[in-house]
Amino acid sequence: MSALPAYSRGTAHLHAGDALRAVPLVPRNLVLGFLTAYRAVVSPLYGDVCAYYPSCSAYAVGAVQQHGAVKGAGLSAWRILRCNPWSHGGVDDVPPHSDFRHALTPRGFVVPSRKD
Amino acid sequence: MGSDLLFAASTTPAASSGGFDLLGIVMWPFKALVEAILVAWHWLFTSLGMQGAAGLTWVLSIVGLVLVIRAAVFPLFVRQIKSQRKMMEIAPELKKVQEKYKGKRDQLSREAMSRETMALYKRHGTTPMSSCLPLLVQMPFLLGMFYTLSDVKKHAVAGEGGVWLLTKQLTKQFYDATLFGVAPLHTSLVDAVQHKPAGWETTVAILVVLVILMIGSQFFTQLQIISKNLSPEAKTGQAYQMQKIMLYILPLGFIFSGLFFPLGVVIYWFISNLWTMGQQFLVLREMPTPGSDAAKAREERLARKGKAINSEGKVVPKAAYDAEQQKMLEDAERLRAQQPKRQQPKSAKRAKKDQDHAKKDPEKNVNGDKA
Repeated sequence: MSALPAYSRGTAHLHAGDALRAVPLVPRNLVLGFLTAYRAVVSPLYGDVCAYYPSCSAYAVGAVQQHGAVKGAGLSAWRILRCNPWSHGGVDDVPPHSDFRHALTPRGFVVPSRKD
Repeated sequence: MGSDLLFAASTTPAASSGGFDLLGIVMWPFKALVEAILVAWHWLFTSLGMQGAAGLTWVLSIVGLVLVIRAAVFPLFVRQIKSQRKMMEIAPELKKVQEKYKGKRDQLSREAMSRETMALYKRHGTTPMSSCLPLLVQMPFLLGMFYTLSDVKKHAVAGEGGVWLLTKQLTKQFYDATLFGVAPLHTSLVDAVQHKPAGWETTVAILVVLVILMIGSQFFTQLQIISKNLSPEAKTGQAYQMQKIMLYILPLGFIFSGLFFPLGVVIYWFISNLWTMGQQFLVLREMPTPGSDAAKAREERLARKGKAINSEGKVVPKAAYDAEQQKMLEDAERLRAQQPKRQQPKSAKRAKKDQDHAKKDPEKNVNGDKA
């Protein structure tokens, strides 16, 4: 499992009082759960194959964190299409959301941010 | 290939039935293609005079299917090998990056190192990575193969054919075909033990041997990659630890799926693994990852034959290699002699003072050395 880039990791935690505010974040966290499992179980089988940094699966994590399940999936699909034998690879970061209002946990899940 | 593994880990032997079959519609073209290849080989073997209903004919057709599918992705493999060779040219720069981050294990340093390495590849228009899309594209074809071979039983019992060229008659023929005259190609270990058809002991023995060979070849190939073809840098990462764990967990998963795989699928898998092993052997022997154990073994082998690898990554006689090294040393020494002597660094204050001195009195020592 290639490591997540720094912008995909945070220090926040989900607080009980934020449960309601976390509801809109459920879809993207479900996808992130799937991606985490994939990266833990399937990614190691291939070793490092991705021509880019961050790797396609790490890019998918970043894209879903920033843009949600649907747009994130679209960005990831486009990235995988670009990761073909004819590309030269290189550094290709997720375009950040212009107004990202949530916080990230150390494992890369998205939780509502707190004022304090 | 990793995709074989993934696909085995994620599929269940029984296809879903009933309702709106979206998966069936999506998979149709892939199944049809696999059937076409299988039937084409079967036609070829029968026209060569082999018996259409014989188990061997169908086993050879499966082998043919493996050959076609693996040969189709072979150009990608060659492409990767070629870029591996080009890697030799950027090895010095790569080494510089690795030196810079030597011993730094924290996540931020590793991230920065990955970024610099990838940027370096891009600058030189070459990458040792095989890229992700091919792995993903292969997946539906492998699934198509799996469904085609394992659905023979379901279709034959229902008196149907496959999705396209595998007709009702051919499906029946495949269903009735037996390996060595006893083991039906559609039987899995669980089937054989449960239903105990005539000669089931032999069937079980054949299946057990083939499943062991299938798992063994898979394990061996993975082990070779991990133990021989990784550079020391790659062995420090988190990914390496994970790969080592998976090396032992995966065979366990395969033992489980091996119970349910029909003989035809097991044969396909085993032949496919043999192909992978062959490719792996070639890579380890002729173009190992620089710095890996396999690369060291290759250098030793070449040294015994009086040869060495020059700076462009080509194999040359030892004498030519020594001459090149000597020339490189001389060039480096000449370059150093030409370079001006390093100036002693000085503080901004002193530099300014010297400058003022030089302006006032150009005759005096400009370097500000004590006269």
